Parts: sequence; structure tokens; C-alpha cells
Amino acid sequence: MSAAEATSETQSQPGASSVSYEGATKRYGSSGAPAVDHLTLEVPAGEICVLVGPSGCGKTTAMRMVNRTVEMTEGDILVGGESVRDRDAARLRREIGYVIQQIGLFPHRTITENIGAVPQLLGWKKDRIKARSAELLELIGLDPGLGDRYPAQLSGGQQQRVGVARALAADPLVMLMDEPFGAIDPINRERLQNEFLRLQAQVRKTVLFVTHDIDEAIKMGDRIAIMKEGGRVEQYSTPAEILMAPATEFVEDFVGADRALKRLALMRVSDIDLWEAPLAYVGQPTAEVRAKLAGPDVEVPYPLLVDSERRPLGWLSERDLRADTVPARPDSPLGPLLDRDDIMRDALADLLQGEAQYAAVADHQGRIAGVLSVEIISEFLKSPAAKTEEHSAVERPHG
Amino acid sequence: MTGPVLSHPVFASIQGAIEFIFTPQTSNVTGGKTVGGIDQVIELALTQLELTALAMAAALIVALPIGLYLGHRGTGELFAIAMGNLGRAIPELALIAFMAALIGVGVLNLTIALAVLGVPPILANSFVGIHQVDRASVDAARGIGMSEFEILRKVEIPLAIPTIFAGIRGAAVAIVATATIAPIAGVLTLGDFIINQNVYGDNGVLAGAILVALLALVIEFSLAGLQRRLTSKGLRLKAT
Amino acid sequence: MASLGALPLAAVGEVGKGFIHERTSETLPCQATSKFFCWDWAKEHLISRYETPTFQHLELVVISVAVGFVVAFALALLAHRYRWLQPPLLAGTGVLFTIPSVAFFFLLLPFTGRGRDTAIIALTAYTLQIIYRNTIIGLANVPSSVKDAARGMGLTERQTLWKVELPLALPEIFAGLQIATVSTVAIATLAAFAHGGGLGEPILREGISFKTNLIIAGGIAFLIAVSCGLLLYAIQRFLTPWRRAAAV
Repeated sequence: MSAAEATSETQSQPGASSVSYEGATKRYGSSGAPAVDHLTLEVPAGEICVLVGPSGCGKTTAMRMVNRTVEMTEGDILVGGESVRDRDAARLRREIGYVIQQIGLFPHRTITENIGAVPQLLGWKKDRIKARSAELLELIGLDPGLGDRYPAQLSGGQQQRVGVARALAADPLVMLMDEPFGAIDPINRERLQNEFLRLQAQVRKTVLFVTHDIDEAIKMGDRIAIMKEGGRVEQYSTPAEILMAPATEFVEDFVGADRALKRLALMRVSDIDLWEAPLAYVGQPTAEVRAKLAGPDVEVPYPLLVDSERRPLGWLSERDLRADTVPARPDSPLGPLLDRDDIMRDALADLLQGEAQYAAVADHQGRIAGVLSVEIISEFLKSPAAKTEEHSAVERPHG
Repeated sequence: MTGPVLSHPVFASIQGAIEFIFTPQTSNVTGGKTVGGIDQVIELALTQLELTALAMAAALIVALPIGLYLGHRGTGELFAIAMGNLGRAIPELALIAFMAALIGVGVLNLTIALAVLGVPPILANSFVGIHQVDRASVDAARGIGMSEFEILRKVEIPLAIPTIFAGIRGAAVAIVATATIAPIAGVLTLGDFIINQNVYGDNGVLAGAILVALLALVIEFSLAGLQRRLTSKGLRLKAT
Repeated sequence: MASLGALPLAAVGEVGKGFIHERTSETLPCQATSKFFCWDWAKEHLISRYETPTFQHLELVVISVAVGFVVAFALALLAHRYRWLQPPLLAGTGVLFTIPSVAFFFLLLPFTGRGRDTAIIALTAYTLQIIYRNTIIGLANVPSSVKDAARGMGLTERQTLWKVELPLALPEIFAGLQIATVSTVAIATLAAFAHGGGLGEPILREGISFKTNLIIAGGIAFLIAVSCGLLLYAIQRFLTPWRRAAAV
């Protein structure tokens, strides 16, 4: 689904509401700059919006204003079109999922009871709570048998998953996540991020995600808001847009000098139009191959040797073509063989490492799908097609 | 307005008690002998202080090293905790009477009895205080090459001062309280005014109670002040 | 200047009446032998002489600890909410704790006279600081992330207090209750001075020469104290299953 399609989503999807900041401001004390200064932002329903910025920029405060764990001084926030001020704070929070960095599971309750905390507040029957807990445990990838254990008996990564499950238990309209994976080691963090994206593909909640890590933002966000002190939004756009066209110097610095490479991490080889090389079959008369080479619109000036199944075997050289028929063994080795599903950045790395100008790209059956080169990649990045080719976070390549 | 209030029996009692403290009275029982007065008050107060000080010193000498050592090594936890719990369970009156019966009356003998009361809280709290010092600080100290004794002296004890002093103050409370009833074993302290009511009369009893309370509070404040002096600034800032 | 009150209790009977009784024919056989412990006498007189003091003693302790707990717990909840109350309450309960109970009994003399009520008031005052401090500390030790999560999930302040904070503070609170109970059992022997009954009474009445009496009365008090301590400890372990689980 492209970005254009995403924005045309209605205010409320089943199970998810939009979130709309309207000049929301938070001031501590009478003097000094506000922690969040008249923030105006629209998060469409069912999308992951990442608030990212340096420490102290107000991103966490901005997130907490949605469920009123921080009370706004001025302005308003609408969830699903309704102001958060209109509701009783405690009731409001029961409809909003809340995940924090230190997790905060109740040590004195079992995992099942922890997950069922909000449903219990809402008055669900016991069996329904138990069933829901079991369902969520499975959804987050944990053994349902863990339900009767206590948090102290789980690892950090497991606890964090339970924290997410707990937030999802009552089927909230909005999820607030404050650096939820920050306290986890990098290996498990990646795993948890991937798991969450898989989850999101199923549940499609509106998520406000706070992080200070731009890479995490790019990986997780359908939209990213890059913030400066005072909660001022320097740019609010899709990751591709931010990487390709940073709005200000601050954004550029924050994103990092390698933003072009970061951009490539968001795409797969199959996202771009590959070039075609003239194919040569084993035993084919070389005259035909030479004819193809000489033809118009030849994109790759080298013939690619393939077998009867169109599986690439190698590249043919001038010497090979002097024979009458195409030899079984090519002069030049195949070099790097890429897959259509490869992440573009990895494909580029393979290309550079293999010191080849062109690399063959195969499909799932191993058959030739096209040819990739550095030139193709850079041309694509410059083209207007690159702007509209955008995946939502759940569809982007991840683990 | 003040008339009816001041003539309430409570105030009369307090007035009588204050008189007792400062001027010798005639005791109705003993036929003419005088009781009360500031000299007697001071004598008895000093006896109580002497008893308390000796007992505290003895308890500290015995309990502190053991508690600190065990706490540093991390062994003997069950012993220390059990000590603390059992020590609290000792009935003071029975202890004094029994000790007097066993080893006789007199200041020194009573000191032993009181010291027995003071050992458990000091030992238990020293142990717990040292044992609960953040392991990271101890590891760091060991890592930079401090000897075990230096670690105890420079790192563990300063950090454990609040807990250790809680034990010392608890011991002081128990000892002062029991020293108050020392007269039943022949050592005269301020408690005599309270216990031998037939000799000193109601005025004496109230005076005794007030004096004992004041003495206990003075000791407590002194210890609190000492604790504050000994607590490092960093710890003080942390404790709210 | 020797005061006339200097006579040890062994010489009882020579000074005026007061509350010290004379040796009776019942106790004489055992006392006269000055043995360490008379088993026969003990077996014969155990129930008749010590049943009432024991029940009185238990009554004193139960009432004092119960009232002390209710008051201290309520004060702690107040101070948990309104932090500015904490220093004065800590100091106030501390003063009550420091004043020796014997003195306390008689400070109350002009107000409540002698008797069981005076003893109970003084004993209650003694328990306040322990329970108050432990409750406050227990509540303060609840991790702030847990409180944040509870609030963010939609629990009201009252729900957070009763469903999250207090259960997690339970071990500390119970420890305070345990200490208070054990200490009160020990101190209640002094209630006899205030005519409050209890196991201190047999001791005061017979004097230090009657060792068997001392051992029995003191022994009962000690045993009660220890058993109460163990019982409360067992209850606390039972009420906090998550601590047992974590100790794996």
C-alpha cells in the first residue's frame, strides 16, 4: 500500500482511532520555555507514528498528553474526533494501551493477571479474561504455560512482550509506547521490533511510538515526526521522504550522513525495474546471441548464460562468442547472485563486494529475473518513481 | 477564664510534681524523713546515666564487632536475625529480677543484665546494615585495592550508619527503660520515685515519670545528633 | 543519703503496704528451699496462679497492637498522600517510642489513673513508631515504574494504593507488625507497675527471691513473644507468594 492510499483512511478504523494534536502545549511553572509548544499533528487511524528526537525534546511529554498522564496546559488532543479533556482521565486511559520502557509489570500478580489488568477494571468476566490472556500470550510468541508464573521469573525480553500484551488486552483504540524496547539488548530488541511489526500487521492499531533512535524510527514508523526542544516538529513525513528530502539542517544532522544507505534499507530488489541482459542458452548458435547483442534497446551489453530452466550460470565473454555454439561453461563466473526479495542495501553491499558491474537477480525458483547494477540503483533513487514507492512499516523488509 | 482551667486537677498534679523535684518534701510514710529535692534527683539521675552508659558500652563492645564482621563476610545471617528477634522478645522485668536473683544486686551486676538487653539490636542491625550495602560499591572498593578492613571502615560502615544507629538507639531505648525499674533489684535510679509510690507519694510518682521521660529524650536526641554528625553528606541528601 | 525505698524486694514486708504482698503459705515451701526451680510446685500451681496473668497479658498485647496498628497504618496512609506530614509524624511517634513505658504509665497518672486502660494507652503509643515507619518505608519502596504503569493503564489513585502499592508493601508492613508485637509482649510485663495486670504481676508480687516464679512468668512471656513472632512471619510468607516464586 502506498503512502497516498494510507492517508485516505477514515478517522476511525474498526479497533483504531486517529489521534489529532491541536496546539497542545505543556508548561511547567510560569516562566521558561514550554516543554511542548503548541504541537499540531495528525496521526491517521491504524498507522504507526514515531516521535523521535534528542533527549529532552518533549517527545515523551507529548505522548503522555494523549492519555493525560501529563495534563495539557493549553490546546487539545482529539482521539477519534473526541477531545481527551471531555473524559474522566482514568476511564480514558483504560481505552489507551500504555507501554513504558521499564515495563512496570505488577510483581505481585501472575502473568495472566497482569495481562488481564485492564479487562478486569472494565468488568470483564473471569473466563473471558483468561481466554484473552491466553490468546495474547500466543500472539506475542510466548508459551501459554507462562501465564501462571510471576514477572520475576521471566527474562527481560519476555517481560517486555508481556507489557505489550497487557497494553493490547482490552483492544484499545490507540497504543502509546515510550521507548518500549530501549532497555533490551540489541539482538532481542531487533527480534521484538520485528515481532511487533508482525503483530501490527494483524491488529492494525494506531500507535504513537517514542524513541531517540533514528534507525528504530525508520524501521517502525509509517510516519515520523522529528522533534526539537519544545516538542517542535521539524519534519513530519514518511521515512522515505525524510531520508530523501530532509526539511532542515537539524533533520539532516539527526538522520545522519548515511541517509541514502538508510533509504536503501527500506526497499527490496523487487521494488525497482531491473534491466535485462540478452540470454544465451547452452548449445545455442552464437550467431543468434550476437544478433541479440547488436539489437536496439540493449540494456546490458553482456550475454548471460542460462540453462534450459533459465537459471543463470555465468557471463559470456567475446572469446566465448567466437565458437559456433554457446559453450556449457562460461568464461566469466556468475559473481554475486541476488534474490528478488533481498533488501536493497544488502544487494548493493554484495555488488560492491563482488567487484562486479552487473549482478544477476533470480526469483524464488532460481530463474533469472533481471540484472542489477550500481547505476540502476542510483538512477532509481533520483527518479520520481522513488518518491511514491513506499511501504507501510509492516510491509517493509524486516527480520 | 484561666481560673477554672488552671484549677483542673491535672495542673495541680504537675505543680506538685515540679515542687517535688526542686524542694525536699516531708514523706507521710516514713515519719519525718525528707524525700525529694534537687539533690536526690541529681543523685538518682546520675546513677541511671551511669548504668545506661556502662551497659551501652558493654553491649557495643560485644555486639558491634561481631555484627560488623559477620555482615562484612555475609555469613551468620540466620544467627544475627534470630538474635535480633529473640532479643526483642526478652521480658525486661523478668530479666532484671532474674539476673538479680542469679548474680546478686549491685551496679555492676545489673550492668550485665542491661547489656544482655542491648546486644541483640546492635548485633542484628550492624549485620543487616553492613550486609545490605550496595554490592557494587564494595566490589569497586575491592577492585581499587582496598584491604578488607579498609573496605569495612571506609565504605561499608559509612553507608550503613543509619541502620547501625537505628540499632544503637533501639538498644538505648531498651536499656534506659529497664534501668528505670532497676530499683527492684536494689540499684536506685529515677525509677525509684515511680516504683516506691508509698514512700514518695503521688507527687513523687509524677515527678519521676516526667524526669525519666526527659532523661530518655535527652539521650535519644544526643544519639540522633551524633548520628547526624557521623552520616556523610551524600547519604543525608539521599535520605528523605 | 539513703532513700527509704532502697530495700530490695527480698526484704518485703518491712516497708509499708503499697502493692507488694507478703510471703504466703502457698509460696513458702518452694521459696524456703531456695532451689533454682521447683518442678512439683510448678506443676501444682501452674494453672491456678498463671492462667489469669497470662490471659491479661494476651489481652493487653492484642488490644494495644490492634489499636496501634490501626492508628499507625492510618497515619502512614495520610503521610503517604501528604508528604509534608512525614517529618512531624516520624518525630512524634519517635518521641512516644523513646519514653520508657514505665514513665509513660505514670505520665498518664493524672489523666487516666492506674489500671488496665493506662497500660493499654502506653503500650499502644510504643507500637506506633515501628508500624508507622515500616508502612511508610514499604510504600516508598514500590518501584515507580509499576506505579507509572498502573496509573497509565487507568487505575484511579485509590485503586493504585489498594491493589498495587499496599500488596507490594505488605512484607515491610508485616515486618513492622511482627516487631511491634514481639516488643509489646516483652514490655507488657511492666504493666504490673501501673496495676494493669499481666505476667509482670506475679514477678512484682513475689520478689526476686522466688526464682521459680520468675522463670515461669518470664518464660511464659518469652514463649508468647517468640510464637507470635513466628506466627506472623508464617502469615506474611503465606500472603506473598510472588516472593517465594522469585527466590528461585
